[in-house]
Amino acid sequence: MSDTESLDLTPVAAPPTTRRSRRRNVAVFVALFAAVVALLAQGVLHSLNYFDTVDQALATRASLGTTTFRLEGIVAAHTITRTSRGASFWMDGGNAKRVFVDAVGQPPQLFQSNIPVVVLGHFTSRTSDTFDATQILVKHTASYIAAHPSRVRAPNGTVR
Amino acid sequence: MMKLLSQRLLGPVTLVLLALTVWLGIWVTPPDRIQGNLARLVYVHPAVAWVALYVSFGTATIASGLYLWRRTRSMVMDRVAHCAMEVSAVFIILTLITGSIWGRPTWGVWWAWDARLTSTAILGVFALAYLALRRANDDVEVRARRSAVFALLAAINVPIIHFSVQWWKTLHQNATVFTSTRTLLIHGIMAWTLLISFVAFTLLFFWLLRARYRLEEARDEEVARGLEEALAERQREGVR
Repeated sequence: MSDTESLDLTPVAAPPTTRRSRRRNVAVFVALFAAVVALLAQGVLHSLNYFDTVDQALATRASLGTTTFRLEGIVAAHTITRTSRGASFWMDGGNAKRVFVDAVGQPPQLFQSNIPVVVLGHFTSRTSDTFDATQILVKHTASYIAAHPSRVRAPNGTVR
Repeated sequence: MMKLLSQRLLGPVTLVLLALTVWLGIWVTPPDRIQGNLARLVYVHPAVAWVALYVSFGTATIASGLYLWRRTRSMVMDRVAHCAMEVSAVFIILTLITGSIWGRPTWGVWWAWDARLTSTAILGVFALAYLALRRANDDVEVRARRSAVFALLAAINVPIIHFSVQWWKTLHQNATVFTSTRTLLIHGIMAWTLLISFVAFTLLFFWLLRARYRLEEARDEEVARGLEEALAERQREGVR
C-alpha cells in the first residue's frame, strides 16, 4: 500500500468563519459606511458650493435675510480698518457691486487688500449692504509669482 | 540587464530627487508674492496628492481591471492592486495632513467642508474599506474578485475630486498645473522644482510599491511553504 492510499486527501471545505470574526467584519464595514455617509452629509449636502459670491448674495439678499452663509469677494484696496473686535473692510464682487464686512476675530495671517476671501456671517437686514462676519477665510489663488522677481544677485552672492 | 539596473537605481535616484526637491524648495526658490514662504508647501502637497489620487489609486484601478478581464487575470494583478491601494491609503492620509498644515496659516482653518477636501476624505475611506474588504474573506479568488470590483467602483470618485474645483465653488484653489486652459500658473525655478517634486514622489511610489510587492510575494511563498510542510507532516503521520 502506498503512502497516499493510506491518507484521506478528499478536498474539505474551509472551516466556516467564526461568529466573532464575522461580527468584527460587519462592525468595520458599518463604521466605514457611517464615515462615508457623514462625510457626504457634511461636505456634499451642506456645502457642495462652499460660498455665494457678492453678486449672487446681493441678488438674493431679500430671500437670504439674516440667515448665516459664506460670502466670497475681493478685499477692496485701502478699505481695511482694524477694529477692537477684528477688522472691517469693503468686499468687491463683479459688476461694481460691493458689501461692507464687519468681522469679529483675528483675521488669518495672509489677510490683506486685493485678495479673495470667504467670510461666514449674515447681512444685518434684508436691505442692508453690511455683512456681520464671525470668520474670515483667505482663498488664495492658484498662481505662484516670485515675491521679488527683478532682484539681481551680485557676484559676491548678495541679493539687491 | 536593463531591468536589474533600473531596479537597483530606483531607490538611489528617488532619494537624490527627493533631496534635490528639498534643496530647491527651501533654499533656491523665491518666496511667493502673496503666500511668502508658505508657498514652499507647493513642492510637497500637490506631488503627494498626485501620487495618492492618480498614480497609486490609478495603478490599483488598472490592476483591478486587468484582474477582472479574463485574458489578463492573474494573482500578480491582484497583488499589484492590493499593494498599490495600501500605498495609496498612506498617500491620501499624507495629502490630507499636508493640506491641513498648509490650510491653517493660509485659509485660517485646519479643515473646510468644501467639495475637494470632502471628496478626498471619502476616497481615503474607500481605500481603507478596500483593505478591510480584503481581510474579510479568506478565499483567495473571491477576495480578489470582490476587491477588484470595489476598486473600480471607488475609482469613480477620482474624476469627481479632480473636477470638483471646476464644477463647484470651493475654498480649495483651482489647478495650477492641470488647468482647463492648459496654462501653467507657476514659472521659472518654481515650476521646475514643482516638476522635480512630481517625478521624485512618483518614483517614491514605485519604490514603495516594489518593496511592498516583494513583501507580499514572500508572504505568499511562506503560506505555500507552510501548506506543503503541513501536507508532508500529514503524509508522515499516515505512514506511521
